[in-house]
Amino acid sequence: MNIFLEQSRRDKTREAQLTPHKAKPQYGAKRSNALIDAIDTFLRTPATVTDGRCHVRDAVDMKRIMITVMIALAPALVFGWWNVGFQHFDMIYNGGSIATRWQCLWYGFLKWLPLVIVTYVSGLAVEVLFAQIRKEEVAEGFFVTGFLIPMIMPPDVPLWIVAVATVFAVLFGKEVFGGTGYNFLNPALLARAFVFFAYPSVISGDQVWVSGADAVTCATPLSFVMNGHPEAVPFTWNLFIGTIPGCIGETCKLAILLGAAILLFTQVADWRIMLSVFTGGYLTAAIFHVTGLCPVEAHDQLLMGGFMFGAVFMATDPVTAAHTRDGKYIYGLLIGILAILIRTLNKGYPEGMMLAILLMNIFAPLIDYCVIQTHIKRRQKAIGNNDYN
Amino acid sequence: MKNRETYKIEKGLDLRMAGAATENILDFVLPDRFYVRPGDFRWLMPKLLVQVGDRVNVGAPLFCDKRDERVLFVSPVTGTVRDIVRGEKRVIEAVVIDRDPDAQTEAAVEFEMPADGDTVRKQLLQYGLWPCLRQRPFSVIPNPDIRPKSVFIPCFDSNPLAPDFNILMRGKEEDFRHGIQMLRLASGNAPTHLCMKEGVDNQSFESTENVEKHYFSGPHPAGNVGTQIHRIDPIDKDDVVWYVDPQEVARIGRFFLEHRLDFSKTAALTGPAIKNTGYFNTVYGADLSALLSDNLAHENVRVISGSVLSGSKLEMFPVLGFHDLQITVIDEGGKREVLGWLLPGFKKWSLSRTFLAWLTPKRTYNVNTSLHGGRRAVMMTDVYDKVFPFDLMPLQLLKACEIKDIEQMEALGIYEVDSEDFALCELVCPSKKEWQRIVEEAMLEL
Repeated sequence: MNIFLEQSRRDKTREAQLTPHKAKPQYGAKRSNALIDAIDTFLRTPATVTDGRCHVRDAVDMKRIMITVMIALAPALVFGWWNVGFQHFDMIYNGGSIATRWQCLWYGFLKWLPLVIVTYVSGLAVEVLFAQIRKEEVAEGFFVTGFLIPMIMPPDVPLWIVAVATVFAVLFGKEVFGGTGYNFLNPALLARAFVFFAYPSVISGDQVWVSGADAVTCATPLSFVMNGHPEAVPFTWNLFIGTIPGCIGETCKLAILLGAAILLFTQVADWRIMLSVFTGGYLTAAIFHVTGLCPVEAHDQLLMGGFMFGAVFMATDPVTAAHTRDGKYIYGLLIGILAILIRTLNKGYPEGMMLAILLMNIFAPLIDYCVIQTHIKRRQKAIGNNDYN
Repeated sequence: MKNRETYKIEKGLDLRMAGAATENILDFVLPDRFYVRPGDFRWLMPKLLVQVGDRVNVGAPLFCDKRDERVLFVSPVTGTVRDIVRGEKRVIEAVVIDRDPDAQTEAAVEFEMPADGDTVRKQLLQYGLWPCLRQRPFSVIPNPDIRPKSVFIPCFDSNPLAPDFNILMRGKEEDFRHGIQMLRLASGNAPTHLCMKEGVDNQSFESTENVEKHYFSGPHPAGNVGTQIHRIDPIDKDDVVWYVDPQEVARIGRFFLEHRLDFSKTAALTGPAIKNTGYFNTVYGADLSALLSDNLAHENVRVISGSVLSGSKLEMFPVLGFHDLQITVIDEGGKREVLGWLLPGFKKWSLSRTFLAWLTPKRTYNVNTSLHGGRRAVMMTDVYDKVFPFDLMPLQLLKACEIKDIEQMEALGIYEVDSEDFALCELVCPSKKEWQRIVEEAMLEL
């Protein structure tokens, strides 16, 4: 058995062997069709073998990481389906709903399905187009983004608005900066922010959060507080379980915590960010409550609106968060603080989480810069050499 | 000066691979064909000193370093130069030597016993033993005119399936002790650090004198010299540290003690695709085909000189690299799995717990060369930190290397690391980046 090449075959392999990185460009420029390729690697794992110095690789890849995030999102989503239905029937029958669990679930599912189809079709179209132009493989980032977008929309949002928002977010939040991995804003949140500012009527006010609620006021807990009715906020238990109006994915805190557990256990999300967001939010809310500026208790603040969903699934996006370990603490703390600040002090926006995360996305590179400079200065001091610079 | 110190390495990981070497010494009859490869020495520009057909003895110079012609590379055997294989741009890939039948693989050499460092250095250069030394930064052959600030002897290897140094060093203890004294002379009495593994019997090294002994515990890369230098005596831009493999120290010791020049070496044959693993005695440059061919589990394998983390793939010349201590053979991967990203993955090794393999933490893995995914931009920002035991910022340093931002690389401490220190980062990278190659290319810019 001769596994080594004969001398006569050397010439053929020599070129490839000497310049393997030239023979196989990093992003696979030979690929002709990004869409076919994406579907192919989606169905079957790629056949590529290692080519660098390290001959074995961790089995994890971006597809696996993304699917793990989607699994973590699943409990919140399933509850979201049920809750959309529950809120709908509850409103129609004015509290005396006789709809079964399955009816609720089915109603919510049917509300969600067109949303998610529209999101994926519009977003992936942009992704594939850009992958084709750049001659890269389609990055998996949008699988999660497209999963998240319907979960942070009101159930009755017009589909064309979702499509426009998704295209906007993918195009201007990601692709113009170089694609997944180079973006500095969370695309899913950008889509929501786009709807929020461009079509405020479909995503704010009291009429949008329950499906089919035309001209019937079904306020979210946050808007009760904003409008000066903190006594109308449901019990903590309801906030936690999530039988309240709101976005599809954000209401059930139990399901979100389950998702957080999955993300942390699989080490897909960084516990530093989650911990510091909660710490920042809780402390700020506690200060406001104790000083009497806000009647809502600190733990209720964390359970209301999208705080928890944002902390677990949005703030932890590794690309748009701070990249340094120390930076992550600062980044998370500031998100928590800002989210509660916006909620409490700004009378225009009841929900501060989205804006807090987007704002900190913008500041994350600055935080990283400061952390890196501190690190470099400390090293210089330790090594006693000032020759750098 | 403390004589004993223990360092605990906390970050890092041990890849639990199947195919560790048994203690058997495998039969290996020295072949007739030898290959001496300039490529074993990083960034070496060789200048040929022989032609096809020349007779060479053990210790006869084959080529020298174009940038410093005192650094000679000599023939490990007595025989005839059969061929000089050139690659792209006429780069010399190997000098092929046919060994004379029954020729010895060692030679007696006559010289005056050296009294000072200058003579030791001269002898090492003249008889081709200087390339046994390597320096940090850059892992290249050191400049004979520059004294190092310290000398490191890594006395264990923490790479996957790494050989046991007590077996490698069996019978060479006396040579080793003498070699250390010679190195001290050659380095101008620089402090010599012996880095051993905590909690095991370091019988081959414990009796060495005039050295500082250090003990390391924890996962790979505890045995990497880069990690050890970083903990014991960190280097900066203008510092030079030598490091020498213990077997090379013994070679140098034997040379001065017995006046014998010999390039023999013990190494391990490991890997899940090897039927009988074990240790074998060889001579540098020996064609290992005979050792390998009957011992492979099947044909679709990759033969690596060194470890799976930073070894080099053997394709054209089946020889052990000059500095390598093991041959690892693993299955060539590339099998396509239907919906692989969705399968539970009980048998898939991963640092993350995204596969259900975490249910069986003690499993040893039959790893293969599959890349397990497509190349992407860097997205997961914390994975490198988990396996990188340096007080440096791996992600930022790697990114600086990728864009070849020299100022930033220097500021972030590129001189303290080498590509092999990033092997684990490459192993766990979910974006499938080839970090070691990126780091090597970036270091060429410096």
